[in-house]
Amino acid sequence: MGDSPDLDLISDLPQSIIESILTRLPIIEAVRTSILSSKWRYRWASLTHLAFDEKCVTSTNDRTFVENKLINFITRALFLHQGPIHKFQLCTSFLTSCPDIDQWILFLSRKDIKELVLELDENEWIRVPSCLFNCKKLTRLELSRCELDPPSTFKGFSFLKSLKLYQVYVASDAIESVIINCPLLESLSLSYIDSLTLNIRSPNLKYLCLEGEFKDICLENTPLLIAMSVAMYMTEDIAEHMEQSSSCNFIKFLGGAPHLERLIGRIYFTKYLTVGDDPGRLPIKYINLKIIELYQVSFEDMKEILVVLRLITNSPNLKELQISSSSNSYTLAAMEATDLEFWEKECPSHCIFGRLRVVKMTEMSGVPHEMEFIRFLLENSPVLEVMSIAPCSSVTEGRLNMLIELVRFRRASPRAEILFIQN
Amino acid sequence: MSEVDMAVIKPEMMKSYIWLQTADGSIQQVDQKVAIFSPMIRQEITQKGMGSSKNYAISLPQQVNPVMLSLILDYCRFHQVTGHSPKEIKSFDEKFIRMDTKKLCELTSAADSLQLKPLVDLTSRALARIIEGKTPEEIREIFHLPDDLTEEEKLEPLKNTTDDLRIRLLNRLYARKRKELKEREKLKNVEAEEEHVDDRSVDDLLSFINGGNGDSKGVKASKNKKKNRRRKDQQKSVSIDESIECRKDSNGLNFACHSAKVDKLRPHPGETSKLLDAEDDAFANKVEFDDGDIDDEIDPALKEIIDREVEDFARRLNSDWPKRMQEILRPVHLSINGNGSIKRYSRPDPEWK
Repeated sequence: MGDSPDLDLISDLPQSIIESILTRLPIIEAVRTSILSSKWRYRWASLTHLAFDEKCVTSTNDRTFVENKLINFITRALFLHQGPIHKFQLCTSFLTSCPDIDQWILFLSRKDIKELVLELDENEWIRVPSCLFNCKKLTRLELSRCELDPPSTFKGFSFLKSLKLYQVYVASDAIESVIINCPLLESLSLSYIDSLTLNIRSPNLKYLCLEGEFKDICLENTPLLIAMSVAMYMTEDIAEHMEQSSSCNFIKFLGGAPHLERLIGRIYFTKYLTVGDDPGRLPIKYINLKIIELYQVSFEDMKEILVVLRLITNSPNLKELQISSSSNSYTLAAMEATDLEFWEKECPSHCIFGRLRVVKMTEMSGVPHEMEFIRFLLENSPVLEVMSIAPCSSVTEGRLNMLIELVRFRRASPRAEILFIQN
Repeated sequence: MSEVDMAVIKPEMMKSYIWLQTADGSIQQVDQKVAIFSPMIRQEITQKGMGSSKNYAISLPQQVNPVMLSLILDYCRFHQVTGHSPKEIKSFDEKFIRMDTKKLCELTSAADSLQLKPLVDLTSRALARIIEGKTPEEIREIFHLPDDLTEEEKLEPLKNTTDDLRIRLLNRLYARKRKELKEREKLKNVEAEEEHVDDRSVDDLLSFINGGNGDSKGVKASKNKKKNRRRKDQQKSVSIDESIECRKDSNGLNFACHSAKVDKLRPHPGETSKLLDAEDDAFANKVEFDDGDIDDEIDPALKEIIDREVEDFARRLNSDWPKRMQEILRPVHLSINGNGSIKRYSRPDPEWK
């Protein structure tokens, strides 16, 4: 239409905008733009973010076929690429270990790679090539299901901020040395790396996520830690090892993180913290700790209750508390109210949870110590707004008793609502 | 001041204003709170002290015309207020972005010049959504892109080229001609620049890098042929461009097939590394110039016949081409061709370092 030729709307936009557009397309469509016009021929080739998955190639039922096509596609795309590659992501279950991966990582190491995410088929773990450790500019590294073996000359990634290892086969001291040699590390996530014994020394670490069967973890130097999420799976070996240890896990774990703001403990975390001698009155106050979530807390184990008490009484600014119980009312022992004087003994007499607003108790079975705990909280939380209690689904008859007890408890906060969640 | 007076002073009068000048010279007064959402404007105010009066209006980059400025200010006005729920923000953004493509592109450019990253992200996402899933023609139409790639450049990524019976025949004829020419040159004892279809596997290449400089030159056709035959099972892609390219190489310009039309079929050397559709089983079959024909002795008379055949054929091919191309171009699948091996051409290519 019109006599003057319609002006090209888009080709003259700066490369940063073109990149911004093309990286929001699946890579195969980005590559396809090379056919649009002469200006677009190699625009895609300067993209600094590349993300590959099995959608890059047409899918068929023949797995080997898809795999070969994918390998060829990635190799060709990398080969045509010009300029630096800052982010490379490959997440597909269609690729297993193959020599091409080594070449790709070698190629990337020469292209100023900053973020590398690799997640392949779960059946065959890849062995990470040593050229990965030459990627000097790495700021983010995420590896799944591989074998990691840093060479002895490895001096660390001086710019690494985020490290996430999922199901990685690596030696404890190798990980330790990697952590120590990445001075800017802010976020660390280690999942399902078996039998790790770690001393974490990371002066800038802010976020820590640990999941798996750990033998022994000690946060030796993590002064800036803000949030922590830990799931400690137990095996018999570990349990045994723990029986014999005398060093106090509580201190080892939480002693070095005074600025903690958020703590999430799953699976056997509280049990893990019980190991070792009771720390008694803690020297540290977690003045920034605002949110605590603890799962699988056994209210039948006095030691675990003590751990929880120590934790919350040393967090004067606690706002939200969530506890999921693992007790069950099936054992007679649980239902018999033994050592209830514990509560008067151990609780500091003038303990006030001055900021506590929300408490959620889940999987409750109504065992005496659970109820005592709730009573303790209700009596000492003057600004409490919500106390939500969800009984365990297997408890049916005990619910009425729970409610009867609950109604009796004195509440320090006139605004407190007690919500009993029926499912 | 009496209390009555105080009550009369309206809050709006406490706002401060910034003067902005767009590329066309017009000057506007804008609420400062809204304007400083743009880091570029904020910098002009704080570091250079501009914008406080009409004479010192901040000159905006040329991509920001008054229409764009008003859109951008709408955006800033909404977003600089804290306290919107994520849902509200999302709903605003989605309504905001509804405009024709031309405006969208201009807005992206204007937002970028004002360093408004969230707005650039929003518009980029919208543009990406427009591009996604469309055919090349549709995209060209939307953005008014010139269709200025030559036919052969467009051809390169298409797998169908070698599926085409006619193309295969053409390849075969070319190959026969090539072979015959080689014989001629061998007889003349001239160092011919031969096709260097380098089919070596990665392993071979690595050993080349690490060690000898052996077979880099003078790879004979027959040797290639053997390699090709071996390679038949693997996915081999010898695309039309390569076979044509080889022709050109081995013979400067004297090839009989040199009608202008045929030239068009030849791609730029070095730009052949296009990504091909990976339904490349066809390629395995394609390597047919391997077969018996090539070993035919070609005598000069036959040579003329072949030349003419090829010329005719090429002309025919060309005239049908545009129509055929419509068919082929429609469902364009671009991915890499099946052969991961690296090809090297006899002509040094300036693009490959």
